[in-house]
Amino acid sequence: MINRLEATRYLVEQLSDEPVIASCGNPKFDLFTAAPNRKANFYMWNSMGMASSIGLGLALARPDKKVIVLDGDGAILMNLNSLTTIADKAPANLVHIIWDNAQYQITGGQPTHTGGKADIAAIAKGAGFKQALSADTLAAFKAALAQILSQPGPWILVARTDSSGAPGRPPKSPVYIKHQFMEAVKGA
Amino acid sequence: MDWSRKIVSLLKANDICSISFIPDAVIGRILQAAAKDPYFHFTTLAREEEGIGIITGEYLGGRRGVLMMQSAGLGNCVNALASLAIPYQIPFLMLISQRGELGEFNACHVVLGKALRSILEALGIQHYTVNRAEELETIVNGAFKTAYTCEQPVAVILSTALVGWKDEK
Repeated sequence: MINRLEATRYLVEQLSDEPVIASCGNPKFDLFTAAPNRKANFYMWNSMGMASSIGLGLALARPDKKVIVLDGDGAILMNLNSLTTIADKAPANLVHIIWDNAQYQITGGQPTHTGGKADIAAIAKGAGFKQALSADTLAAFKAALAQILSQPGPWILVARTDSSGAPGRPPKSPVYIKHQFMEAVKGA
Repeated sequence: MDWSRKIVSLLKANDICSISFIPDAVIGRILQAAAKDPYFHFTTLAREEEGIGIITGEYLGGRRGVLMMQSAGLGNCVNALASLAIPYQIPFLMLISQRGELGEFNACHVVLGKALRSILEALGIQHYTVNRAEELETIVNGAFKTAYTCEQPVAVILSTALVGWKDEK
């Protein structure tokens, strides 16, 4: 099992100014806790499931930048159809990381279907992704990350995480988040 | 110039180079009119809600997109509009092909077709309906200006009075 905050900290250490989209729920708490002063972080306060689609749009608009999406298992299960659209467009600069702890952690740990029969990496392959990896340990996550950050995508990386939390809370104003992010992406 | 080609020329005049869509017969005519112009990028959606996310991402990256869908599709977009596009102030145009009003043959399109404007109003989204081709330029240009200067999604509804309806009885 991977500690999600530790993995998020490791991820941002590998990045320079690449835009990162963090899904609602815990991914945005981890990202803010790991890199509170990083401007190119987009924090989603709702619209569960939309992270993958936002990442696709940004990757298409900015083919010069590697775009990172931090998603959750519950969130991607809510927008599985987006995987078929992303696979069809196949932007080489998109990296989609899915933290999979098989539960709706933020609402009390109710199980998601990935704790049962669903396998997101297999679903991604069925949707048309040529490159979908899974990692169960931090070492495997680091090895996978080295590959997906250096080679053309689109990539899916499903990382099996525990259900630890992170204490940080990003700004609450959506408009502030948008402007800060857009300035950072424009300058990047 | 017929209405579909007119819409394409207005998109281009407003720097809208990306079209995300779920097709219907009406949207299909616009797509056909735009297809040969390399200026446009097309994204076939699997569900309309995705389009809200994609256009948001495009806007964050400095590119303008339009969402084209049938009125039924708005029902699939409600939460993404309410919790992403509106609070984050993402401007774009939704071009909505109206079902369930003049000339409808399918009762299953009537309920959402009739509710379309009430849903938009409940979300606080401004909407304008085009009934005649002569209105296109004013409504589409005006909707784009309001959307982008005020940073909000705006809906333009294409009535069957403009685009016609299916021959089916």
